[in-house]
Amino acid sequence: MDEIIRMVGVTKEYRGIPAIRDVDFTLRRGEVHALLGENGAGKSTLTKILAGVTQRTHGDVLFEGRSVNFATPAEALAAGIAMVFQENSLVPSMSVAQNVFLGDETFFNRLRGKYIAAQQLMGSLNFLVDPWANVATLGAAKKQMVEIARAVRQNAKVIIFDEPTASLTPEEVAHFFSLIERLKARGVSIVFIGHALEESLRIADRITVLRDGEHVLTDASANLDRDKIVQAMVGRSLSNEIYARRSERKIRKPGRKALSVQDLSMGNIVRNNSFTVYRGQITGIFGLIGSGRTETAKIVAGVEKRRFFHGGEVFLDGRRIRYRVPRQAVRDGIVYVTEDRKIEGFFDSMSISENIHTGYVAAGLTKGMVLRLDEMRELAEHWTRALNVKAINTDAQVVELSGGNQQKVVIAKSLVQKPKVIFFDEPTRGVDVGAIAEIHQLIGDLADQGHAVVVISSYLPEVMNISDRILVSQNGRVVEEFTPTEATEKRIMYAAVH
Amino acid sequence: MRLGRLSALSQEQIVLGMAVVLFAVFALSIDGFLTAGNILSVIQNVSVLGILGAGMAMSIIGRGIDLSVVSVMAYSVAWTLSAFNQDVNLYLALLMGFGFALAVGLINGILIAYIEIPAIFATLASGTAVAGFGQYFLVDTDVVFVSDAVGRLMSIGSGRTLGVPNSVISLAIVAGVLYWILHRTVFGRYLFAMGDNTRAARVAGIPVRPMMVAQYLLTATIAFIAGLVTAMAVESMNTRVVNSTLVYDVILIAVIGGISLSGGRGSVRNVLIGTVMIGVLLNGMTMMNMPYTAQNIVKGAILLVAIIADSFFNPRDEQTSQQGDI
Repeated sequence: MDEIIRMVGVTKEYRGIPAIRDVDFTLRRGEVHALLGENGAGKSTLTKILAGVTQRTHGDVLFEGRSVNFATPAEALAAGIAMVFQENSLVPSMSVAQNVFLGDETFFNRLRGKYIAAQQLMGSLNFLVDPWANVATLGAAKKQMVEIARAVRQNAKVIIFDEPTASLTPEEVAHFFSLIERLKARGVSIVFIGHALEESLRIADRITVLRDGEHVLTDASANLDRDKIVQAMVGRSLSNEIYARRSERKIRKPGRKALSVQDLSMGNIVRNNSFTVYRGQITGIFGLIGSGRTETAKIVAGVEKRRFFHGGEVFLDGRRIRYRVPRQAVRDGIVYVTEDRKIEGFFDSMSISENIHTGYVAAGLTKGMVLRLDEMRELAEHWTRALNVKAINTDAQVVELSGGNQQKVVIAKSLVQKPKVIFFDEPTRGVDVGAIAEIHQLIGDLADQGHAVVVISSYLPEVMNISDRILVSQNGRVVEEFTPTEATEKRIMYAAVH
Repeated sequence: MRLGRLSALSQEQIVLGMAVVLFAVFALSIDGFLTAGNILSVIQNVSVLGILGAGMAMSIIGRGIDLSVVSVMAYSVAWTLSAFNQDVNLYLALLMGFGFALAVGLINGILIAYIEIPAIFATLASGTAVAGFGQYFLVDTDVVFVSDAVGRLMSIGSGRTLGVPNSVISLAIVAGVLYWILHRTVFGRYLFAMGDNTRAARVAGIPVRPMMVAQYLLTATIAFIAGLVTAMAVESMNTRVVNSTLVYDVILIAVIGGISLSGGRGSVRNVLIGTVMIGVLLNGMTMMNMPYTAQNIVKGAILLVAIIADSFFNPRDEQTSQQGDI
């Protein structure tokens, strides 16, 4: 197979700080190539250089044998390289056909022709998407199809996907893989930034691993396995540490009943949901996105606005509670650690210590209305040490940290509030492999200290590995409960989808 | 990532630099610019603008904006003065005016926090309503004069203490108190948290809605203080100020000093730098006999240059928007 892209010694510096250093990368015609690495390893930077989103500082990129340096994504697209971003770039208020032909409008825009052309395009790709449908009404998988159709229409020879499966359910992921196969059959070369190793092993022909901006490994995926990749990603073998065999682990006994949810309902997202959470153990809730698990936690913690609250009761230590705002829940000792730390986790403009201290202040733990800066420093010192937050000092901005350290700050911000019941929603999403083990350890310690801990996750190995009880949420309610010894991936997944 | 700290110059420093350059140019080219008297008058002329700007900065930091400050300032103080002129006790008159300002602040806060109207529209409408209401019900004349019977109150706007104009001292006090509130109190921390990320603030347990109401009560209070300082400085309150471009000047000094319109960033210092910049500029242009309309062109151009310079030095590229994921 001949090479369609060859990158030689490519370096990209952001104001003197290299994001990728001296990286070699080749893409063969018609292959699927996965890029793996921890957050900050340089995967996005590499693909952005290919797609013309940013420009390299040193090195050379050969596309079909010619040296290229795309100044804009439009230039890259004209040459035949398209990128499908994680945050998708569709216009939600327009129809599918309008989106497919976006940027290609003529002065007199003949919509009818466009719809017919879009329908033919969708048909040729075997995509079941109605070109008249409004994009806002489509699910994540169908949106992705529209993006792919757009790239195909523009005759892209190379399509780059940035974490394409991050927001998809397992079924949608399976569908996405069949799309990739179809693209491959058409002779399109594909680069994708993977985040789940198993997926990448399954779909990719070759895999490249980056670490700290440097190229570590490229090999055919047939020659690789999970352990080898993880080792390449972190530079040491971690998989045993993170996902220890459950049989070797002691299962915590339930303590006093902390929280009891009865027949909770909200619209058609949460339907008659009932479950109980005990102190001193980790209750894992597994469910696919849209199964009502996040919403249930948010209702309990007062995060979801009350006007959507339709019925049911929640008891904390036997007392009936019903919160209108998170403030009341926080003061009663229930905290919710968000799944999306950028949107509702931390404060960008504040330092690590201010972020942690803000949690403390908001829980009403300061005396009076005047802030004490020595108290802030002490708290920050204590918690960054306790959670092993890696930063130059506690005055560093949170946005400068890696995903794992950001997550630790967000967790610290909730733990200073002295909670009794802690909901962790996807606690290791977007967290580098090294920090996952630390966060799991921390969650276990919290349960050992007697806290009632709930971990919501859609990653099976995580739920199975850390939970003392596994609840499965499906279609708005908890449908099944397993002990860690009886749970298997198959049984849990079966309960979650049927 | 990693770049926030390293970025060469902030807008604040750029504006400070521009102010220094302007100052030097004026000092060399205009006779009488570089005298102690003139420099004090520069600050004195903009001290009211600075007080209003500090209030505006506070509301912008909390991810809001208050366009009703000029109306509130004009009519709350005009009502106080006209009531006092009609033999109402001074303290009662002050209480009436202050109460009026607070009522407007409360209405603004409720509209924005609970009815969820965007701050810019809510305060634009309430500012217009206040002006109409004030003209119709509260004061009969456009200009209300200050009688000497106000006594010591006069000293907040006119006169000097140890050679420094009292209006400048008023600005310093307001700025100092506001600085303390923003950086040393729970209120200030909540305000920054809300302005930075309202959802995260809510989840952390910050009372977001009551805070918004408190924020507009505080801007109304500052507007009332600014009005008193103005009235005492020029011995009258001219309510026609509501038809002027004053509110834009107030936003100008907050923004030019580097208070981010997206909230959560900036402090009192930015406003003071913006105030000095505009003060130097206005004074210099006036001394050069530049017509008022031409001054507006310069002010607008300066604002644009400041914003362009900021986006040049601190570009909002993928690095800033992606934050932490190279």
